[in-house]
Amino acid sequence: MKAFSRLAGAALGVFALAAPLFLERGTLNDVWSLALAVILASAWNLLGGFAGQVSLGYSAFLGIGAYATVLLSLRGMNPFLTLPLGAALAAAFSILIGLPAFRLRGPYFTIATIGVGEVVRVCASSVSFTGGSSGLRMPPGSFDFTLNYLSMVALAIAVVTLAAFVKRSAFGQALAAIKQDIDAAEALGIDSTRFKLAAHALSAAVVAVAGGLYAINFQYIAPGSVFDFRLSLSIVLMPIVGGVGTIAGPVLGALVFSTLQLKILSIPALRDSYLFLYGTLLIVVMLFEPKGILGLVRRVFNRRLRRFYAEA
Amino acid sequence: MQDIAGVLVNSVISAALYATMAYGLAVIYGVMRIINLAHAGLMMLGAYATLSLFTRFSLDPFLSLLVVAPLFFVFGVILYRLVVHRLPRSGATPSMESLLLLFGVWLVLQNLAYLVWTGDTQSILTAYTMKSVPILGVRVGVPSLFVFAGSVLSLVFLNVVLKATYLGKAIRAVTQNRDASLLAGVDADRISAIAFGLGTAFAGVAGGMLSTLYAFTPDFGRSFLLKAFCIIVLGGMESVTGVAAGALVLALLENGLAVWTTIPTSFQDAVSFTLLFVALVAFPQGLPGLFARFARPRAIR
Repeated sequence: MKAFSRLAGAALGVFALAAPLFLERGTLNDVWSLALAVILASAWNLLGGFAGQVSLGYSAFLGIGAYATVLLSLRGMNPFLTLPLGAALAAAFSILIGLPAFRLRGPYFTIATIGVGEVVRVCASSVSFTGGSSGLRMPPGSFDFTLNYLSMVALAIAVVTLAAFVKRSAFGQALAAIKQDIDAAEALGIDSTRFKLAAHALSAAVVAVAGGLYAINFQYIAPGSVFDFRLSLSIVLMPIVGGVGTIAGPVLGALVFSTLQLKILSIPALRDSYLFLYGTLLIVVMLFEPKGILGLVRRVFNRRLRRFYAEA
Repeated sequence: MQDIAGVLVNSVISAALYATMAYGLAVIYGVMRIINLAHAGLMMLGAYATLSLFTRFSLDPFLSLLVVAPLFFVFGVILYRLVVHRLPRSGATPSMESLLLLFGVWLVLQNLAYLVWTGDTQSILTAYTMKSVPILGVRVGVPSLFVFAGSVLSLVFLNVVLKATYLGKAIRAVTQNRDASLLAGVDADRISAIAFGLGTAFAGVAGGMLSTLYAFTPDFGRSFLLKAFCIIVLGGMESVTGVAAGALVLALLENGLAVWTTIPTSFQDAVSFTLLFVALVAFPQGLPGLFARFARPRAIR
């Protein structure tokens, strides 16, 4: 099972990296969206899955990354050089809100993060230097799709690899302990706030880089697009539906979601209501298989395996 | 002087509405230890239900609350039996599963509304929408007055139910200690269903009243949900007078900031979220907890 998913992941990565050689632009765009989804889901999973801190405010980090890239590019910087700055900014912001918010536990933390996302969106659409609610445009002539595509795919591969490393490291173990029982973890000498802050900052930085690439690709950003609450929703739903706290789960969730999204968005009548399906999925997952699609797959697989051994 | 009267009158009116929104959440939280994220969707649905009654049967929005409330009560009970009931019961703190599940319910409701009513902005215009009357020298819109009256009536109704009936006693018993109430012969599961229905009915009524004051879309309700959270956090999750006090604090702050500072009104929503944040972090026990902390002799701590 593990070897299989590793092999499948590697094949998917290699295929996506080589895709510009033989795929058309339209299909590449879809793969680009898939890579973005994988990045967002896996990055959210670092905090939400590994440490169990469900945040509904992740569009804030995507937006910060996107705005940092556009604002700095408008001042003459190379767009790709702005990415680390956006990441640093988002990480700093994540610590700023994490310091008070991580004093809250479970659902209270989640609610506070809804508030954070809303405040950031409201601020971005009312402050003048962000262009208000009408948004900002990138300076002309700063666009190379293939480069952007390759960076996005490379980032996606890097994030999934990073997640795998984190999960096995002492850091990941500490996060798992926090998720299971925060009091017990603290009693074992784990400084839970510090670990949560670190996971938050790491995932925020990754999401901000993706946000920068998003801005470069679309050339135009507005609070309604990058700070959208629905975006925060999708970021949370992908790993949860796929399989929270695992490596393959968020990737699986991202695959399912971007495929669904493509199918649904091509039907005009459903364009406004694609979240309907996601909501239903979320209810079904929570009621019947809290470990997501991956949990379901594992259950079926294990049953097969057991039957196989029983017969042999 | 005029300013102070204006802020006071407007604050009391919004506080009553806010309290109605918040009570729905508080009842459900108290009995089940569940944070009902679907509250926003239910308020939105209340607004659309009122709109439908208004356009189809030209029923006055405030009279239609009498239809909306029982309708939503039944809907809430069904929702409980169908979905919420199946969850593992929350312990002392709400479980993440319940939060995410109800979040899913919210998404479903919201997007059903997109399908049924499209994403167009809707509003309810009655003969008295633009009329206003002077109170303490402040001109107050007639719909706001009706909203105030509706809120006070529903709050009085809830208080009577909670204080004077067996059902209310049972609800309060389950809120205080579920296991002990089971020992005393209270059917906690049935009480939970009724409490969920009550909370849903309050959301519907609040949504119906909001529809007479604001324009709405299927996305409506999120900022009000955060306000309601802010209030029950401020007021302490279980205290009835606390909720009223929390509502008043939030309303005074919002109205006061709008009148006396140059903070643009587009930032007004940010006020409640910031307050929520500060409240959650600084005194997780709410205002009652804060007062209790000051009242308690220092030696005990």
